[in-house]
Amino acid sequence: MQDGLLKADPALFEILKNSFYKIAEEMRVVLAKTAYSPILKSAGDYSCGVFDGKGCMVAQGPDLPIHLGSMPDAVAAVVAAFGRDVHEGDVFIHNDPYFGGSHLPDVNVVRPAFHAGRLLGYACLRAHWPDVGSATPGSYGAVTEIYGEGLRLPPLRLVSRGTLNVELEKVILANVRTPDERKGDLGAQLAATLRAAERLAELARRYGSDTILGAMAEVMDYSERLMRASLASLPDGEGSFEDFCDGDGIPDDAHGRDAQFWIRMRVTKTGDRVSVNFAGSDRAVKGPINAPLSVTASGVFCALKTAVDPNSLIPPNSGCWRPIEVTAEKGSVVNAEFPSPVVYANHEISHRVADMAMGALASIWPQQVMACSQGTSAVFTLGGVDPRSGRRYVSYETIKGGYGARPNKDGINVVASGISNTMNTPVEVLELAFPVRVECYAINPDSGGAGQYRGGCGAHRVWRLLDGADAVGSLCMERMTSAPFGLLGGKAGAAAVVTLTTPDGASRRLPSKGAFMVPAGSVIDMVTPGSGGFGAPTRRDLAAIARDLIDRYISERSAREDYGVADPAALCAATKQDSP
Amino acid sequence: MAWRVGVDIGGTFTDVALINDATGEIGVVKVPTTPRNFADGVLAALDVAMQRYHLAARDVGLLSHATTVVTNAILQEKGARAALVATRGFRDVLELRRSARADLYDLFQDAPATLIPRRRRYEITERIGADGKVVTPLVEDEIDDLIAALKVERVEAVAVSLLFSFLNPEHEQRLGARLRAALPDVPVYVSSEVLPEIREFERTSTTAVCAYVGPILASYLEALEGATRRKDLPRLYVMGSGGGVLEAAETIAMPAMAVESGPAAGVVAAAIVALQSGRLDVISFDMGGTTAKASLIRNGQYETTPEYEVGGGASGTRWMHGTGHPIRVPVIDLAEVSAGGGSIAWVDPAGALRVGPQSAGADPGPACYARGGSEPTVTDCNLVLGYLDKGSLLAGDLQIDHAAAEAAVAERLAGPMGVDVRTAAAAVIDVVNHAMAETLKIVSVRRGHDARQFVLAAFGGAGPLHAAALARELGIAEVLCPPIPGAFSALGLVGSDLRRDYVRTVYTTTASADPAALEAVFAALEHQGGAMLDRACIAPEQRRFERSFDARYERQSYELAVPVPPRVFDKVALGEIAEAFHVRHRATYGHDNRAEPVQLVSARVTAIGKMPPLAIRRKPAPTGSDALKGHRRVWFRDTGEASARVYQRARMAAGVVCAGPAVIESLESTILVPSAWQAAMDDNGFVLLTRS
Repeated sequence: MQDGLLKADPALFEILKNSFYKIAEEMRVVLAKTAYSPILKSAGDYSCGVFDGKGCMVAQGPDLPIHLGSMPDAVAAVVAAFGRDVHEGDVFIHNDPYFGGSHLPDVNVVRPAFHAGRLLGYACLRAHWPDVGSATPGSYGAVTEIYGEGLRLPPLRLVSRGTLNVELEKVILANVRTPDERKGDLGAQLAATLRAAERLAELARRYGSDTILGAMAEVMDYSERLMRASLASLPDGEGSFEDFCDGDGIPDDAHGRDAQFWIRMRVTKTGDRVSVNFAGSDRAVKGPINAPLSVTASGVFCALKTAVDPNSLIPPNSGCWRPIEVTAEKGSVVNAEFPSPVVYANHEISHRVADMAMGALASIWPQQVMACSQGTSAVFTLGGVDPRSGRRYVSYETIKGGYGARPNKDGINVVASGISNTMNTPVEVLELAFPVRVECYAINPDSGGAGQYRGGCGAHRVWRLLDGADAVGSLCMERMTSAPFGLLGGKAGAAAVVTLTTPDGASRRLPSKGAFMVPAGSVIDMVTPGSGGFGAPTRRDLAAIARDLIDRYISERSAREDYGVADPAALCAATKQDSP
Repeated sequence: MAWRVGVDIGGTFTDVALINDATGEIGVVKVPTTPRNFADGVLAALDVAMQRYHLAARDVGLLSHATTVVTNAILQEKGARAALVATRGFRDVLELRRSARADLYDLFQDAPATLIPRRRRYEITERIGADGKVVTPLVEDEIDDLIAALKVERVEAVAVSLLFSFLNPEHEQRLGARLRAALPDVPVYVSSEVLPEIREFERTSTTAVCAYVGPILASYLEALEGATRRKDLPRLYVMGSGGGVLEAAETIAMPAMAVESGPAAGVVAAAIVALQSGRLDVISFDMGGTTAKASLIRNGQYETTPEYEVGGGASGTRWMHGTGHPIRVPVIDLAEVSAGGGSIAWVDPAGALRVGPQSAGADPGPACYARGGSEPTVTDCNLVLGYLDKGSLLAGDLQIDHAAAEAAVAERLAGPMGVDVRTAAAAVIDVVNHAMAETLKIVSVRRGHDARQFVLAAFGGAGPLHAAALARELGIAEVLCPPIPGAFSALGLVGSDLRRDYVRTVYTTTASADPAALEAVFAALEHQGGAMLDRACIAPEQRRFERSFDARYERQSYELAVPVPPRVFDKVALGEIAEAFHVRHRATYGHDNRAEPVQLVSARVTAIGKMPPLAIRRKPAPTGSDALKGHRRVWFRDTGEASARVYQRARMAAGVVCAGPAVIESLESTILVPSAWQAAMDDNGFVLLTRS
């Protein structure tokens, strides 16, 4: 079928390709507009995709890069578990990272699409539930086995030929903290996948099932060809990078502190292929920051897609990854084995390897990489009972930091980077939903790494628990000790800091991961990481330094110490005089 | 007082449409747009129009206007030196946005632009809580320093947006009053007046858009209104993006309402056509040189959307937070795609055919304009296929180089694709038609409407050329091509009612709401609307007030509009509203949840001043006129080459029927009648295409 439709009928090929991507987009609309929990309806922590009958991704919606590499495994797990026992009106659900999931909070809903009794493919919607049980609200506790991470669902048939398995649903809802809200979210996932299955069937009705199935295969071949062509046009070479992570959340080193661990990566590009090898990376750690290989691969794919196709012209699907090989030793921290706990790794390790891949590629393609971004999803959860309503709640937020500086541009302040693209929860929505008051949400000056192109600044966000609202909090962050690196002479961005001040006035810095008690009236103060700078700071344009000073993205001290400006005040005054 | 006059500024031309109320006679004038000072072009166009149609000022009963000033100021970053005042700790809300980036994998993407740079974002100590109660009182002592700083910075406008002001506007009002008193020449936009709705970024963004464009819009409208008044023309109305006209002063008070002024006018015109023709369900399709727009009219009514982004990069999914500046005012629900006559077709490195998003624009324009464009455009492909002709583009005023179009298609498309020139050109038309069909689907089938029940109203320079193919794609049986397709939008201006929405956040559920309290809210909103209609001198019998709620399931974040039934507002009515919401939710998203409380987020009153009804009519040629101009070769993908009859629209008499394949040419636009279709001219100058 190579080139079949594309050659025979280029217009129809383009039409069907666009249709597959539109279907994924439409799933997103249905989910966002009807889901109940803020993490889905406001923050957008989910991915939508259209898959072929084997589980290869034909089209990824404009959602989260993190799920690129691992979503196909989620659909393939259903195919492997049920084989031909898949029928019109069936829906499958699962979340087990050892069965094609990413981490337990990411719940996959997979629905087959049929036309005239023939399987066309699948729609999969992976949505992050704010709670899937475990000891900690938000399911982000620092545990040492996957058994402690919450409810595990291997691939299961939730709906059989249109009939909901009510008993299975009861088991699920009995194991999560806010069952009414979960029911609403699950309803939205079911509706969104139904919409996709209907759209695929419509296409098949119109153009014939054979044409649709052929086009699915060709769309992936098409992306593969474009990736290979782009790779072939870039120089061959090899680059390596190593970096340490803050820790796994288990304070078990000789001093009773969380120990750092290392990841090592070698990227080799030859012709139209790339191989990424993690030899030399540390063994799996005790705490939940072990990545299944598909999670590691997602991070690598995201970075390579950005570097190889920097103007974002190649449609993202499984075909893009065929020229890329990712290998890691079994049982290492980047290729976890059952029953290692995994919950943090989903975003923290995939962020990390994505940034590292940019670092490794800098030696061979310096014009197509970016300095390290914030490198963490900066997850902050709170759970308890809202004294205003008496209702149990779980709040899950991800706070953004800097987006790395580029070879020709500054980074971006406080925006989702790398494998993430979730939104913030508006302060007014958050405070109506949960018993907190946000006292500050601002750009944190001087946090962007100095460079010819400055790194993006991180954020400063402060929460206060309302009276009567004792809560359990948890954090999952990286880059508290391992600051985001700069490239080609650019300086590192500022590391993250989180402090907890209890009503008695006692204040302490929180470790990067794990749960903690938050008495009512406590204040949590977070600064997220900035991003690294690109190129030597001495080469920065004076006008850009002046602009940053006037807007207070940098302080006078930074202008003097990082950029060597003798008299920042005079520079500001002169610039202000010149510009209207 | 017999004529109504509408002026629409477009990128290339400023159009004037005139309608004689008594006779229904339509006039059109086009003059070049004057980007340096739009008012000059408007005044010139008015002069030409009045001369050509022998109008004195006293003959003009209604003057309204669609302006691009707001959109242009934002796109060209030429707005005012505006400042923002926010709650302490929150001055960066405009830059922090919703924190998602616009493109997942674009390494070189820019940070979204912010209308107000950080140096002019200020904070004031105060805080209202989520229950609307004061947490930290407004520190009045800080206001003097703030005023001093605003003066030093020579700000030209101020946006004030404090947290939870939509629940309790007291701090904003006090601060606003102090600023207005101290800075009498600086407009101060206060978020609780502009948009009393939840979500601080969207509310602040809307307020900032007002501050950024307010001074420019005010000086433009004041100059224009002064000039029209000196000509003794009547009061100037401005088209709002929600589909109604507003008084100039109202627009200056709320500039965000004038964003999509021009496109809104086109949809209003299509709605008039729907009412007039008795074909009440219409999909409007407006295709020009760079974009195509579609909108749905059901039962003669267009719909509006509360979410819109102005400026920034193109984004097909407007509900997503992209790179533009969100405004939360009702905007006519349009779907837009970057596909027009100027869209460039190309073959990508993997051999696939792509169309757009690059456009050759008006300069250099398509290859056939022979003004230096060498890349094949949609217009070039239409020419290669015989759908357009040398003589049909701007009625032969434009020099057309047929060979240049052929060469561009041959070199850039047919060669790399390994097909002949006409196959390549037809493939381009298929791809662009598909992109537009998707846009039509977004407003119809994607929202649960069966497109086959609708009539397609096609206008804009290129709309009637592509309409039949689109109709076939969607299973639509009839296409209506109204008179003066090239200036059709301007007609909407003169047929539009006066209209403005008034909104208040209420936050209650249909089960727990107190009908008397909601009645009081509606009454207060109607009082505000009534005051606006008073100022516009609208007679009581011409006034309408429409009530609706923005509703959702309690734990959702996005609302659907539900009309309030026109009956006594009591518990029973609330029950009906809940039921209507469930039905609407199921129709839109495919499911409902009757166990979940229905939350009423905002109460909305649309205040309407009815204008006299308008009939669009252009007298067809007298019976017996010979419209057949000749024949030419056209080429269709499925049927191959054919000989098409060529008609002149201006010479078609009522009742004339042309069987396809045929081409109907007119000054501004060409209608393509494919094989198996036919076209009929009606008594009002509309051409109706039907499948034979």
